[in-house]
Amino acid sequence: MNLPLLLHFVRQDLIDRHAASALGALWTLLLPLSNILIFTLVFSRIMGMRLQTMEMEYLGNYSYSVYLVSGLLAWICFSSTLARITQVYHANAGLITKVRVSLFSLPLYIIVSETIIYLISMGFFVIFLLLIDFKWSYHWFWLPIIFLVQQLLAFGLGLICAILSVFIRDVKELVNVVIQFWFWMTPIVYAFSIIPEKWSTLFLLNPIYHTTKALRDTLILGQSPDLAGLGMVFGCGLLLLLLGIILGRHLERDIRDFL
Amino acid sequence: MIDVNGLEKVFKLYHRPADRLREIVFRRPYHTPFHALKNISLQVGRGETLGIIGRNGAGKSTLMKILNGVLLPDSGTVVTNGRVTGLLELGTGFDYNMSGVQNILTNGLLLGMTEQEIAERENDIIEFTELGDFINEPLRTYSSGMVMRLAFAIAIHADPETFLIDEALSVGDGRFQQKCMRRIREFRQRGGAIIFVSHDLNAVKMICDRVLVLEEGAVVAQGEPEVAVNYYNRILAGEQEDAALLGNVGSGYGSYEARVIAAKASGENSAGDILSSGENLLLRVTVEADVAVADLTLGLMIRDRFGQDIFGTNTHFMDYPISLNAKEKRDINFCMPMILAPGKYTITLALHEGADHTDACYHWWDNAVQFEVSGIRGYSFNGVCNLNPSIQ
Repeated sequence: MNLPLLLHFVRQDLIDRHAASALGALWTLLLPLSNILIFTLVFSRIMGMRLQTMEMEYLGNYSYSVYLVSGLLAWICFSSTLARITQVYHANAGLITKVRVSLFSLPLYIIVSETIIYLISMGFFVIFLLLIDFKWSYHWFWLPIIFLVQQLLAFGLGLICAILSVFIRDVKELVNVVIQFWFWMTPIVYAFSIIPEKWSTLFLLNPIYHTTKALRDTLILGQSPDLAGLGMVFGCGLLLLLLGIILGRHLERDIRDFL
Repeated sequence: MIDVNGLEKVFKLYHRPADRLREIVFRRPYHTPFHALKNISLQVGRGETLGIIGRNGAGKSTLMKILNGVLLPDSGTVVTNGRVTGLLELGTGFDYNMSGVQNILTNGLLLGMTEQEIAERENDIIEFTELGDFINEPLRTYSSGMVMRLAFAIAIHADPETFLIDEALSVGDGRFQQKCMRRIREFRQRGGAIIFVSHDLNAVKMICDRVLVLEEGAVVAQGEPEVAVNYYNRILAGEQEDAALLGNVGSGYGSYEARVIAAKASGENSAGDILSSGENLLLRVTVEADVAVADLTLGLMIRDRFGQDIFGTNTHFMDYPISLNAKEKRDINFCMPMILAPGKYTITLALHEGADHTDACYHWWDNAVQFEVSGIRGYSFNGVCNLNPSIQ
């Protein structure tokens, strides 16, 4: 897939898909926004106290919002990238069976378009942070790297799920269920400190825990991220992507036959 | 341009797609193989048009999909030079909520054009579609013919080196079809190669240089369009003969329960088999039945020297039922004004049941009779036939 075609797919995905609705592309932003609102309203009371320990005292009432939104935006991006890549071959079956298109670069348009949605949401978030006099830090330069590591993981995992879902349709539903569990198993709406000691090692195995933590360390605390954790996620993502490509090359003929 | 060698394709038929994974895990087969293409080799050079004909399920579409790169073969090689554009299904990726202009961009990119090329050719494309102001309306407001016109216009302007056309020429009205054909001929003159799949045997004969007949995944005949088309007709009639016999059709084939034992064409006035245009042609066909046949149809097809179908009819169409007792012989006499242009013609005869020969074919005799039209009675004319106009 060449660059103009990729960009065209992204444009279609972001804008043309909503051509018939009055609010258009705004809808892609409204869903995350409503999520943020709900979680802020519901959890700020419960969680607000615990966050005082995280050097966010000066943010006062906003501390939970900042904590939540930073984690939630990244999660929404990760989970919808994963879920949509899982369905990429079924969704584009009409294309794959008629035009020569690479199975491995096809998911890129989803990654790019979800990234753009994330960047727009982050743009709003940063404006919000500036409005509440948030402390700016040069460690923010880590953010793109952390985000790319996370998207690499989504690509690798998504590619494998997409290939499997051609053969087993249930994978699509399974991924959606797993995403629900995964969300609540990751400290996004709650703080890691509420996890009982004996469970905490289990949480350390969750790659998204590491990316979310790295994100908050740099964004909120202005520290450099834990490179060991981030490196592990990067390795994980690379390995999954490689595995996906090997699996895909092995099964490409069957995938094209089945679609 | 296109060089295909020893292409094999086996579809593995599984009860469920998941069985493919079980197969990998347990290392034993869970499928029934279906041999879709067997040892296919073909070459198409610059400016050449190869036709592919065959019954439904013979493997035509599978072959086209492999050439287009959307399916992968099991073995064999496909070498293509330059851009190959498939007109396998017109309008791939069309979004019916978007306008015609926007869809030109999408479809063009999918066909492998660059944005610059699309911008340059956009006006030509729009002009070719003859859609006028509709081009700015969403596609859902189009008639299906308009969508097809748009799709064809984009495809023909994609300017590929090789064109794969699969039943795509039944686009729009007759005039638009002619325009498409003209474009295709221009494309060929510029050195483009075409692979053309169709059930429209007349179109195949008209535009193809060579024709390949596929049957059950294998090439059973290959050669001159007329010869290959006749061979294909024979397959349709349910009898397959060795490809080597092609061209030497002899006295035909069929079940011979009823057969044509003699046929003679002559001019009403000339008495010989050379007549002038405008004269009546008398065609006497003698048929005989071995067993009693109730619903017998005698059909004829006049073809010109290019093998193009000029005119055909049968006694079923003409409401002239024939029923023969066992061992009965009968003459059937046709008389028709031969208002054709001068040239040599052949008549193919067929005896079958019902409206066409696909149900029960008793006797099919290619080129049973020849006659020649020489000279014109009345005013001279050009073209295939004389419509006898008058000026008022």
